[in-house]
Amino acid sequence: MVTNGVRPNRRGFADYIDDRPGDGVFRVDRAIYNDPDVLEAEYRNIFEANWVFLCHEAHVRNPGDYFATHIGRQPVFVVRKPDGGLGCYLNACGHRGATLVTARTGNTKGFVCPYHGFCFDTAGKCTAVSAPKTGWTEAHFDMADYDLTPVARLDSYRGLVFGSLAADVPELRDHLGAATALIDIFVAPAPQELEIVAGFSIYQTACNWKIMHENGPDAYHAPVVHNNFAQAVNFREKRESRSGVARTDTGRLTGRIESASYDLGNGHTAFWHKRPNPEAFPIYAQKAELEKQFTPGRVEWILGRGRHMTIFPNLLLNDLASTHLRCYRPLSVDRMETMIWCIAPAGEPPELRAARLRKFEDFFLPSGMATPDDVAVAESAQKASFAFNSKWTSMGRGIDFKIDGPDAAARELGMAPRASSNSWDHEIAMQGVYRRWLQMMERGEEHRRG
Amino acid sequence: MAEPVSAAAVAEFLYREARLLDSRKFGEWLDLFCEDAVFWAPAVGMDGAHTTIPELSLNFIYIVGRAGLEARVFRVESGGSLASNPLPQTRHLVTNVTVDSDGPGEVAAFANTQVVAFCEARGQQILNGSYEYVLRKENGRLRIARKKILLLEYVIDGYFDFFTI
Ligand code: FES
Ligand SMILES: [Fe+2]
Repeated sequence: MVTNGVRPNRRGFADYIDDRPGDGVFRVDRAIYNDPDVLEAEYRNIFEANWVFLCHEAHVRNPGDYFATHIGRQPVFVVRKPDGGLGCYLNACGHRGATLVTARTGNTKGFVCPYHGFCFDTAGKCTAVSAPKTGWTEAHFDMADYDLTPVARLDSYRGLVFGSLAADVPELRDHLGAATALIDIFVAPAPQELEIVAGFSIYQTACNWKIMHENGPDAYHAPVVHNNFAQAVNFREKRESRSGVARTDTGRLTGRIESASYDLGNGHTAFWHKRPNPEAFPIYAQKAELEKQFTPGRVEWILGRGRHMTIFPNLLLNDLASTHLRCYRPLSVDRMETMIWCIAPAGEPPELRAARLRKFEDFFLPSGMATPDDVAVAESAQKASFAFNSKWTSMGRGIDFKIDGPDAAARELGMAPRASSNSWDHEIAMQGVYRRWLQMMERGEEHRRG
Repeated sequence: MAEPVSAAAVAEFLYREARLLDSRKFGEWLDLFCEDAVFWAPAVGMDGAHTTIPELSLNFIYIVGRAGLEARVFRVESGGSLASNPLPQTRHLVTNVTVDSDGPGEVAAFANTQVVAFCEARGQQILNGSYEYVLRKENGRLRIARKKILLLEYVIDGYFDFFTI
């Protein structure tokens, strides 16, 4: 890792953000991407101080199902308890700290530590230790001393499971805020439950986690970075004369289309674009059903618009090329990990499921025809973040077009963003991310100083 | 009725395929594939096991029909893909070639592989795996009806493409 040898003296985290909307300026000091001290503070003040996404309920559907992951640096696992509720515990044995759950996922009645064999139930209670009588007198032995440490807060919204290591956080619903309206229609197309399709991908990128997080709400890059995707797919479709749901809607990448973007508050973002070919999407098969159930405005949101959102700091949900969930984790200041799943209505007809998956594989994954280019550009931005003599990254696009509060489309959905803008290629949503970043960093440091 | 094919002939065919990829003769490489060829690299489940039903589960790459492969070649040669520009250099090391069955029209073969790729932006990448082929006997020559690539690695550093596995 290259370290920041000429780190300028900063008075505080506010120095990283140049936020002057009146002058049409929003800029971020690029050292924010390469200063190891910043990442330490982010772990403390963001990842380990508020709600982060853990997994989908479908990952832990049955009693005993578990899912091992991280909150910031800290290993945790989520488990479905026999009563149907969820538990989430630090993934460190109460004895001498071996990793208790070593598989990513599985199903178990209880956990046996691989080191000295202590046993734990799905409620995190220590239920047995090896040879207690010869190791402790009764006066100094209390099995409860070895119980697992639960996370401070655990909750889920529409199947998305979140945990927090800090107790003093708002209710999950309030944390998600305006994003709930969009999460609702992400789920709404399925009268059935959503399921995680078999298979996932995990990949590491040599960039700071925020560079990839910014790439999500950034639709401005799509016609440039992904033009080659559109051209390749169009080439194939011409060659194969594809039709219907087997087609891929590349219109969003090659032409100017109606769109909008939103600063949802709390660092969450969203955008949508009008779908030039809505019939290319599996959900279109449910048109008649949806029209019976919902208002025309809502149906337009579901069928007619590609939708994208990020939930600060580590979740991305979208229904653009295909329906997917993506979860981020920083590994070091210049390395991050991404996990990605395809999510779909349970019981979807096989032809639609296959079409959904092929679109997913075309675009996403480290082996797709688009994600590698996102990764390449993110890694190039990481390298350029050391250009200290040209330190500002600009995110001012769209400032002059910003609408405070909801636009007409948001109102149709009953969604209350902090700000809206009439194009998906504006950067106002990203500004919301960095304002939230600064608020959490400053609040956390204040807290630490007492 | 086509002649039986020797293991040596199959190995020779696989080496030649690898050499076309390494020398970026992608057009000639595509010619080795049947029009209805399947190119399949399964992803893994959360347990690390490869997915088995390609149509209904997630794959790294699942292409049915040569046009899909042609599109991949088109993309990396277009110059518009930052990840493929410049194209990483590769060396395919193909070993342990065995013929699993030899029928009248088709041969099933297996091989192990290690592919070393290098580009300045990302340095060296090594991906290991095995190949399972179905080779079709067409007018006295072999063509690829199916190439399945089982990658050993599933936590991927960066990205990969059809020519780096
Ligand atoms: S560390 Fe787990 S039983 Fe000793
Ligand atoms: Fe992208």
